[in-house]
Amino acid sequence: MEGYGAIFVFALIAVIVGLVFAFMNEFMGTRKIDPMEDYPYECGVPVYDPEARGTFKQGYYLLGLLLILFDIEVAYLFPWAVVFRDIGLYGLIEAVLFILILALGFIYAWAKGALRWQT
Amino acid sequence: MGEFLVSLIVALIKIAVVLGVALGLGAYLTWFERKLAGHIQARLGPTVVGPFGLLQPLADGLKLMTKESIVPRGADMPVYYLAIMMAVAPALLLFSVIPFGPEFEIFGYSIKPIVADVNIAILIVFAMGSLAVYGTIFSGWASNSKYAFIGSLRKASVIIAYEVVLGFAVLGVILLAGTMSTVGIVEAQLEKGIWFIFYQPIAFVLYLFCMLAESGRVPFDIQEAEAELVTGYSVEYGGMKFGALPLAEWYLNVVALSAIAVVLFFGGWSGPQILGPFSPYFWFLVKTFGLVFFVIWLHWTLPRFQARDVTEVAWKIMLPLALLNIIATAVAVYITGG
Repeated sequence: MEGYGAIFVFALIAVIVGLVFAFMNEFMGTRKIDPMEDYPYECGVPVYDPEARGTFKQGYYLLGLLLILFDIEVAYLFPWAVVFRDIGLYGLIEAVLFILILALGFIYAWAKGALRWQT
Repeated sequence: MGEFLVSLIVALIKIAVVLGVALGLGAYLTWFERKLAGHIQARLGPTVVGPFGLLQPLADGLKLMTKESIVPRGADMPVYYLAIMMAVAPALLLFSVIPFGPEFEIFGYSIKPIVADVNIAILIVFAMGSLAVYGTIFSGWASNSKYAFIGSLRKASVIIAYEVVLGFAVLGVILLAGTMSTVGIVEAQLEKGIWFIFYQPIAFVLYLFCMLAESGRVPFDIQEAEAELVTGYSVEYGGMKFGALPLAEWYLNVVALSAIAVVLFFGGWSGPQILGPFSPYFWFLVKTFGLVFFVIWLHWTLPRFQARDVTEVAWKIMLPLALLNIIATAVAVYITGG
């Protein structure tokens, strides 16, 4: 119950707290139906397009791909940082090589314009 | 069985205390922020409800609780509700690895004032920080509103960009401490007798930027952007559902990330013994609150970046800086032997 068990119990309680926040108004709120109450917000004019989930800028997709590259890199470097003192020079060189290879990919993405937000 | 029951009760008490502190602090930070914003803008802030407006959070909470539950037309019902849970739960779970003080003894049991002292605490912080993206994306997607959709996409791009920088910034501290446990990092600083901010000033600045971006604070609040997007992804939510999104994002996240910053860079609970056994808690809370104050102060002082600048600063300036910082730190640790 010291470590992961406590986190598990806390996760259950946090989920319950989140659900209480989500459903509190169903039980405690008033109920007075108005025909236009669920109309989506659009600055007081009729909604132009009833379906809002359309196309979006592809830059977000590219950033998502870059996240996969670098977040996994960070995840690999965490254990390296913990045991760094035990593996010495070998670990240092390996990690620098690893970072350099990924930096190469990063420079490629940069040169290709993946990071250019507005053209 | 008896031992298990005792540890379960201890864990439940700790969780109850942490939950109470987190939610109470979250509620009262709304009062503090409004008061501070008022004085920054030469107003008085809330004054009517209670002395100095101190009962304002309770009044706001009651009002939010008794609102009618409205789901916008065309919304994706299950996801619409799930988004609230996905925003609140990770923000609360961030508090599970924050050590408030050193180990102490009570009734013959030695107790650590931390919910879970695990050796992957920093990884848990990252996992929960990344999970927060789902609350944002779900709420934007489910609301069926263009404002919410654009706001959630912007927020997601900010979070994923700064998540990476945050990871690299924290790596420097882990290299110095040689552990990912939050208690271990504080003890490493106590042992060395120096706060890690003096060894890792660049990492601290990067962490501070990431903290502002992850919690959607000015100058990185492009997802709220009142003037363009109304309030971004929370625009179609009402009642306590609306209350939960800023509570999780603006208050719980800021407090939790400030506390993690104190652990990583400011020596956690270290400080002169001025209050006897309570001084570690006092120092920890003072340092955390100092950072929270700084964040709110920035929020009401600075203008907002453009969406373009936010992403480009993260990828083109901060990420290379963080990579160089890691390599420099690794070389320095290797040469000096830590």
